[in-house]
Amino acid sequence: MTKVLVVDDDPSLLKALRIGLSARGDDVLVAHSGAEAINQVALTAPDLVILDLGLPDLDGLEVCRRVREFSNVPIVVLSAYGDERRKVEALDSGADDFVTKPFGMAELEARLRVALRHAAARSDGEKSTSFEVGDLGIDLVHHMATLSGSPLQLTAKEFELLAYLARHAGKVCTHHMILKDVWGPGYGAESNYVRVYTHRLRKKMGDDDGRLLKTVPGVGYQLVADDHSTVANE
Amino acid sequence: MTQVRPSGLLTRETYQRTALGIAVTVVGLAALLAVLLPFRSHLSIAIPALVFVLPALMGVIVGGIVPGVVGAFGGFLLYDIFFLPPYNTLTVRSPQNWTALAVYAVVVLVVSQVVAKLRSTREEAERRTEESERLFELSQALIGDLTLSQLLKHMVATVQSVFAPRWTALVLPDEDASDRGAVTALRVAASAGQPLTDGDIASVMSGGGKARSLGLLEDASPRRVSVALVVSHRPVGMLVLQDVQLVERERSLLGTFANQAALAVDRAQLSEQALRARLLEEIDRWRRALMGAASHDLRTPLASIKTAVSSLRQADTHLRPEDRSELLELIELQSDRLSRLVTNLLDMTRIEAGALELRPVAVGFDELVDEALASLGGNMAPGRITVDAPADLPLLRLDHVLMGQVLANVLENAERISPADSVIRVAARTVPGSAARTVEVSVSDDGPGIPRDERERVFEMFSQNGGGGRAGLGLAIAKAFVEAHGGRIWIDPDVDHGARIVFTVPAETLVATAV
Repeated sequence: MTKVLVVDDDPSLLKALRIGLSARGDDVLVAHSGAEAINQVALTAPDLVILDLGLPDLDGLEVCRRVREFSNVPIVVLSAYGDERRKVEALDSGADDFVTKPFGMAELEARLRVALRHAAARSDGEKSTSFEVGDLGIDLVHHMATLSGSPLQLTAKEFELLAYLARHAGKVCTHHMILKDVWGPGYGAESNYVRVYTHRLRKKMGDDDGRLLKTVPGVGYQLVADDHSTVANE
Repeated sequence: MTQVRPSGLLTRETYQRTALGIAVTVVGLAALLAVLLPFRSHLSIAIPALVFVLPALMGVIVGGIVPGVVGAFGGFLLYDIFFLPPYNTLTVRSPQNWTALAVYAVVVLVVSQVVAKLRSTREEAERRTEESERLFELSQALIGDLTLSQLLKHMVATVQSVFAPRWTALVLPDEDASDRGAVTALRVAASAGQPLTDGDIASVMSGGGKARSLGLLEDASPRRVSVALVVSHRPVGMLVLQDVQLVERERSLLGTFANQAALAVDRAQLSEQALRARLLEEIDRWRRALMGAASHDLRTPLASIKTAVSSLRQADTHLRPEDRSELLELIELQSDRLSRLVTNLLDMTRIEAGALELRPVAVGFDELVDEALASLGGNMAPGRITVDAPADLPLLRLDHVLMGQVLANVLENAERISPADSVIRVAARTVPGSAARTVEVSVSDDGPGIPRDERERVFEMFSQNGGGGRAGLGLAIAKAFVEAHGGRIWIDPDVDHGARIVFTVPAETLVATAV
């Protein structure tokens, strides 16, 4: 049974989500404000947080940042249409994925599954120097990557990019995050670099249609190991 | 400051002063003659010569060179006739006396000329000082924050007082008329002096129908001077002076005034354009905020409807019957909310476009509350509202559909922000002392309230960041509807606990006779 915390100030959406997620078998907690959400995360340690960006007291971005100070719980952000900039900021602030309102339950559940599975994999991966994400194997010590057991011939930068995405598998990584971490703190606006390298990575992994290394338009990239469970972003 | 001598009166004044100078000289000569005559046999011949210099000098000081010449000539005659022997004739006997007479004449003429020159130099300097003071004052006014019309008034008044024409008029291109397609329509923007007759205005207009040559020019019409106001080769207006004759230095002074005026007009027009642009920007920002709020408020119910519907449709969810009915109820309520919002928005747009006609009818306050509650439907739990109205409350006269929406929106807002178990209080009363009999409706809640400094702006504030906004679209719509009824809506500034929203509605003016 997954413990899901839903944070939204609209009581009817909260109610619809509570019923819908409970029917799926989840244990649903609700919070109506940002402050309440942070308390709930600290007190009840949910497995997953669904967070609306527009809250009456705290900004949703601020909630992301504060939760990230003490918890790695996966956060899926609910954003309004036309809120692209804040969506990206939320991802930069530590959110794992986003769903644009209005959304269907099937789409939401798919996102939740991806976030949950990868969060589990990530917590394993963080401790070791080599880990696996689906068919992808990463060996940080030897700078080696394998796909379905066969080694990939990668340059140093390509490997760093792949390792970064694999470490954050399931999370939507923004261009900004990737550049700062893989290229260095002096970078941040050169999203064409990332485009060039993901293109090369896809070629070498035989992933020309981007099912493994998914493009999230206008936002960034997401490494999805198990493509059966993904739902395309609209 | 000293009043500047109007140039139009210059010649007349000069005549007057000259005459006065001559009079002073003549009187002086006569007086001195009367004083000296009894003693003439005892005096040296040099004494009268010296004394008779005085009237001539006084004349010069008062009236310039002309009285000086008169004084010299008169003094010469008197000296010769009465003080140089033989007396009472023009004959001069000794060469010594000839010399005295000649010296007297030369001294008086030379001194007169020198004094007159000094005097005119000093006058010139004074005039220049006055002119530059005037110009300084004018330029002070130009850089001040006067509106265009104040500025133009000030300008023509200054020109009027300096040049003293019959009237001064400032003519500007008429932008409104230009918009209507006229080639170059003009209007008299400001005038001073005697009021312009219709004939004057017509002649100014006809004279200025086409672009004038730059600089100073004198009209064909008699004694009229027109100056084009030009900024970087672009005429911005025209200054017209009626009944004035200008000497050369006055022309250049008028030219300077015109240049200052041209700059001022140009600057004022630019700043008015900037103001207009800022206003448009403000309206644009408001519209964008309204659009944002509308899209947020429309999407919020849609989001829960879609979530609920997709839950119901999903095959692998195991909904209990009570969950199913709860979701269906939610869908119905949110659909109602959505439909109400869409109707509200359309009505508001129609009001703004002037396409919605109010249909005022006589309505009891209870009916209005019922109307609002019916419109809210299940979105307002029964028992959350108390209604308090005096028994003698008059009937209201209003469009009950729109005003029902106003009350519904205010109630919905209160419901949204106040604790679930708190009571929302609706009250009505006649406004004390309102001649037109206005009724004040108030809605009080126990929510977090609104900070005092934001209370005045609440109705313009739209939620910016999703559901967090204090006042959503509902209150903005309420404001539009209340104002369409000639009323107003505000947040009670004196409430410390929760919020109290008050709005006025018109009462039926015919007193119900049924008792």
